[in-house]
Amino acid sequence: MRKYFTVFKISFQQEFAYKLNFIMWRVRNVLQIFLIFFLWDAVFSRPDAIVFGYDKAKILTYIFGVMLVRALVFSARSVDVPGEISEGNLTNYILKPMGYFKYWFVRDLSSKALNFAFSIVEFAILFFLLKPPFFWQTSLLFLILFLLSLAIANYLVFVIRFIVSFITFWIPELAWGAQFLFMMIITEFLSGSVFPLDILPIALQKVFYMTPFPYLLFFPLQVYLGKLPLNVIFEGITISIIWSLVLTVFMKIVWAKGLIEYRAEGR
Amino acid sequence: MSKVLKYIKIWWLMSKNAFISILYTKLTLVVFLLAKIIRFSFFIAFLYFLLKGTNSLAGYNLNQTLFFFLTFTVVDTISQFLFREVYRFRPQIVSGSFDLVLSKPFNALFRSLLGGADVIDLITIPPLIYALVYVGALLQPNFIQVVIYIALLLNGLLISTAFHIAVLAMAILTLEIDHTIMIYRDVISLGRFPVDIYKEPLKGILTYLIPVGLMVTLPAKFLIGMVTIQGALLSFLLCFVFLFASVSLWNSALRYYTSASS
Repeated sequence: MRKYFTVFKISFQQEFAYKLNFIMWRVRNVLQIFLIFFLWDAVFSRPDAIVFGYDKAKILTYIFGVMLVRALVFSARSVDVPGEISEGNLTNYILKPMGYFKYWFVRDLSSKALNFAFSIVEFAILFFLLKPPFFWQTSLLFLILFLLSLAIANYLVFVIRFIVSFITFWIPELAWGAQFLFMMIITEFLSGSVFPLDILPIALQKVFYMTPFPYLLFFPLQVYLGKLPLNVIFEGITISIIWSLVLTVFMKIVWAKGLIEYRAEGR
Repeated sequence: MSKVLKYIKIWWLMSKNAFISILYTKLTLVVFLLAKIIRFSFFIAFLYFLLKGTNSLAGYNLNQTLFFFLTFTVVDTISQFLFREVYRFRPQIVSGSFDLVLSKPFNALFRSLLGGADVIDLITIPPLIYALVYVGALLQPNFIQVVIYIALLLNGLLISTAFHIAVLAMAILTLEIDHTIMIYRDVISLGRFPVDIYKEPLKGILTYLIPVGLMVTLPAKFLIGMVTIQGALLSFLLCFVFLFASVSLWNSALRYYTSASS
């Protein structure tokens, strides 16, 4: 256990190696929030308007929630895994007396801790500057369910990222391309990062709810906003747990097959 | 004239090499192309369903909002097609391999800016222009509006050029920054929707200081008939100022290049 704590500490310190880089990365996140904040602010130019089941406070809470939940769920150091595989550096890791997945999970945790801490500061600054109406969830039950759905989301995104990364075992030149397509386009959109999924037609929403993506961001925020009845929340949590289990098994199978394929090219 | 022809020939050679290297890995090409198409489709679907539910966005109807978005996408895509090499500039500065560019018998800025056109973006440009023309026609502009819209679109591309030159200069001045070009992309993406949705002072900043509004919102607004000819002329003038400032910044930055690591 101590060695993973050391990995956490070192990884946390590494994030500070390129301070300006990190700050610029956070600036980018704030700029992205500006776009969706003002877009929805314009949609709700009439303060009493109700659009797609949201009032102004709830939609702007959703936008601010996206900023915090994204920092917590999508921040990861394991984005480096495809590059490590394609360059043959994976060998260094599998020779060490450490669980490969545990190692990256801990490194992801350190990245999440740092990004989340910064996003809270950004949240406070933007909240002060933009003064949005905000929905504070006061029900303890909903808050607990929100935290539970966030924990599942964090695990689920970890597994999805690894499955996508393992494509590199078979197609090394897709190390970055697969991440771009699956993690930056498909996952970002279908998780509700860009817009809340309930503006889409019901039939389409039902299809998306059968996939793991809405459980990464959209579902936890719906739980926080109290937009879902309890039975739907429990159904959602059950589906996301099933996805976590199924994808974990799939990830292990792909990992085992990938290691057979791995030739440590470049080493 | 012969100098222009020489540079066209050089650009063609550099672009051909860049295309060949991408076409060599066809699967990568397909994946990136697919990703861009999916992202574009998601945005169009989002705007369609959003406007279906709200009827208007900051006073603009569905076709007008789509036209703003398409204008942004065309300017952004053509910029990426032409200036992809900018994304690869920083490693040259860090490693000192920029020396090789400086020692060549043609302009270093030209090489750094236009040295690696992107074939993936090139493929997406014709269908985008078709969509732009299709949606633009639905807005029923007159001939003068169309001509000035095209001029303003070219003006937007020149402003984008100024931005990219400034990014190159920043890479020389601040070696540490890896995200400058991505920050540019994020700022530009604020122009996906008309800048009217933003509040002051952000709206003013996006119109005059970081002229996203001039690049993408103003041309679309002119076609819709919401900008006077004086506004268009001011835009051309500001474009000249931005180009002059960015080229000056580049020339100053070159003096700070140290050839470190080379």
